[in-house]
Amino acid sequence: MTMNNRINDDILRSVEKPARYTGNEWNVVQKDVNDIKIRFAFCFPDVYEVGMSHLGMRILYHLINEREDSWCERVFAPWVDMEEKMRENGIPLFALESHDPVNIFDFIGFSLQYEMSYTNIINMLDLAGIPIRTADRAEEHPFVCAGGPCSCNPEPLAEIIDFFILGEAEEVINEVLDIYKGWKENGASREDFLDKISSVEGVYVPGFYDVQYNGDGTVKAVAPIKDKYPRKVRKRIVKDLDNVYYPEKVIVPFTDIVHNRLMLELFRGCIRGCRFCQAGFIYRPVREKNPEKLVEYAKKLEESTGYEEISLASLSTSDYTGLGELTEQLIEEMEPRKVNLALPSLRVDSFSLNLMEKAQKVRKSGLTFAPEAGTQRLRDVINKGVTEEDLINSVTIAFEGGWSTVKLYFMLGLPTETFEDIAGIADLGKKVVDAYMSIPKEKRGKGLKVTVSTSSFVPKPFTPFQWEAQDTIEMLMEKQRFLKDKIKSRYITYNWHEPELSFLEAVFARGDRKTGDVLIKAWEKGCKFDSWGDHFKFEKWMEAFNECGVDPAFYANRKRSSDEVFPWDHIDMGISKKFLLKENERAYKGELTSNCRVGCSGCGAAAFGSSICIEGD
Amino acid sequence: MNGLRVKFIRGEEVKYISHLDLMKVFERALRRARLPVAYSKGFNPHPEMVFGLPLSVGVTSEAEYADFGLEETIRPADFMRRLNSQLPAGLKVLDAKKKITKDNIMASITMASYRIMISAEEHREREFLQEKLKEFIERPAIIVKKETKSKVRDVDIKPMIHQLCLGDSKEGIFTVNSLLSAGSSENLKPELLYDAFADTFGHGIKLKAIHRTGLFVNRNGVMVDPMDDAVLEGMNPKR
Repeated sequence: MTMNNRINDDILRSVEKPARYTGNEWNVVQKDVNDIKIRFAFCFPDVYEVGMSHLGMRILYHLINEREDSWCERVFAPWVDMEEKMRENGIPLFALESHDPVNIFDFIGFSLQYEMSYTNIINMLDLAGIPIRTADRAEEHPFVCAGGPCSCNPEPLAEIIDFFILGEAEEVINEVLDIYKGWKENGASREDFLDKISSVEGVYVPGFYDVQYNGDGTVKAVAPIKDKYPRKVRKRIVKDLDNVYYPEKVIVPFTDIVHNRLMLELFRGCIRGCRFCQAGFIYRPVREKNPEKLVEYAKKLEESTGYEEISLASLSTSDYTGLGELTEQLIEEMEPRKVNLALPSLRVDSFSLNLMEKAQKVRKSGLTFAPEAGTQRLRDVINKGVTEEDLINSVTIAFEGGWSTVKLYFMLGLPTETFEDIAGIADLGKKVVDAYMSIPKEKRGKGLKVTVSTSSFVPKPFTPFQWEAQDTIEMLMEKQRFLKDKIKSRYITYNWHEPELSFLEAVFARGDRKTGDVLIKAWEKGCKFDSWGDHFKFEKWMEAFNECGVDPAFYANRKRSSDEVFPWDHIDMGISKKFLLKENERAYKGELTSNCRVGCSGCGAAAFGSSICIEGD
Repeated sequence: MNGLRVKFIRGEEVKYISHLDLMKVFERALRRARLPVAYSKGFNPHPEMVFGLPLSVGVTSEAEYADFGLEETIRPADFMRRLNSQLPAGLKVLDAKKKITKDNIMASITMASYRIMISAEEHREREFLQEKLKEFIERPAIIVKKETKSKVRDVDIKPMIHQLCLGDSKEGIFTVNSLLSAGSSENLKPELLYDAFADTFGHGIKLKAIHRTGLFVNRNGVMVDPMDDAVLEGMNPKR
């Protein structure tokens, strides 16, 4: 094998799933290092199967590789068994395409998809032999950058990441690479490069900002150290999605991955504005792709990959205006090719029998609904414009159509929640069972299975609930026990999330720079792969908080006053704080806010000049 | 049924792919090549495709076989060319032939030959290893623990070893050539054979690599290549 370092057979034979580390998959991009000027290591801080399932990585990988001067390679977190072997044999973190160590690259780019992957970032930097803190890096080290949803509050990673790309990276990354090429030729200092890119809209260099705190530990102000740096760093978006780069080839992995299928991105953003949902705000404004264009992509991708399934990837697929046209055309094109169409995340209110039956023609699988809360009162608080009637109608149609497996997703700990709301979850589950039973035996599918899952509410930046306190771990556990006792039906299975993990998520989602020390301390104590059940070491995390003198409850369980300065207030995601505060007040009054298509609620995203915002006027 | 049999190699680049994943690799290559392979009916159609004896993860081979059901006739040479253009590095079809017999490759295999590479750091003398192999194979029975789904039982693997001899050696790496029972009725994995040998040998040797060199079909007591015309036609050999 062309393993040009010490990742030999003895090592690969001794680890689980060695194909995670060998590369050479179909459609992989190989280049001659002598022909290129910039080497980019796209790092996903989780295992191969998770990282390879991420659409953003697949897009950016091929986008960077379109450049003749650059070679983008993939890097995933080695699983603990492989890491042990690597450390034992002095093998540094390597890239999958060339198997070269990543510390010789020009850029290390991390994708920030969830807070609980932060320790893996630190671990990967350490494995690569790159200093963990920005301040300790020298001329010979790569620049470490990051992007993705979590960078809307980049502060916990401010001392680890050299620069962040806020918003959509397609355009920014090319601008940064262009600047880099010129900078590299002139051989100037690291700071000089960061200085140059700080004027690119969407680039945030945390080292150029100074944070001052109040006596009570809250943020007093965040200000640029020089006047030339923007006071607020604004995210970038791609205005015209029909003409933005989308790969016609994607890598086809050798081993099974979490989402092992083609993904078509229908649109970005979400019209809904559910008040707990960060993605619903930070990706605004809504921009759709043309259905004809999507069908063309689907055909080309199917031809270049041979994939047998295609899924529609967007935040709320049923809000896509061309959904009927698109699915019709896709089924027409894909059925003769024996390609399945998978329909994810359908909203219960716009769930159409028609569409369901079309998809059913290809294959029938389980259905997922997300009412999020058990009572109408609470669903109104969170602006989830879904009624019980909607849900029962939808599942009835589904049961009549032969489906018998239903998953229902809820959240515990939402603002204003009472035990009555939680009992409502059990009631709703029972009503779904009743809906099934009300259909004559010969007209329904066999083997009813209803799964009720609850996650714990995590207040996130850039949502109307960013001021809210998270329930304590004890309270969340009590609520879980309460719900468990309320669910009596043998057809219902109840799953819940570990509240400890949600607690940490709440700390780092709204964390400031002080929480960065805790991340490093926890990693030193052996924390990594925190979202992988077995590897989650809650006591170690608590020790780390203690030793750093940081109180996690201050971040997770404290209700903020409306005039508090947030650690992320210098980041502009296109959503105004005033709008979010107004939405928070409306939540407490149980007032619904209409979606972007019905009417503009003035969130601030209209400043990006996208069509939906202008038409809404 | 209208079908083809192909012989292919599995090289270093793809040796860590599991058998199930390898089938997926072929399935997607067939799709990309737009080859007229027959599919099963139902909600989840699968190509009609049968592979010979599964290879363990980490093992390479120069003699792998697969049968494909066809929806339309295609010249075996065209099938091979088009499939090869869509296979990843490390997988290559060497031969394709029309298959008339109903017997599938998986059910027909009876023997397999392997090259087992052993590093003997502490015993570099060829004679020593030779002697040990001889001792090993001349034992009246070679009992190993074989794990099944529910239990571990003792099995005598000696009747399943048809040939075991020392081949080339270079810088402390020795080649052991073996011919072993294979297939659905009796099957001896080379790893198990190696473990049994290493157990009697004691410490000081290490398994470096295993490479499959052949798979064979039994026709009236004669071991034949699965690509043999008589095998593919399903006729009894004329005497």
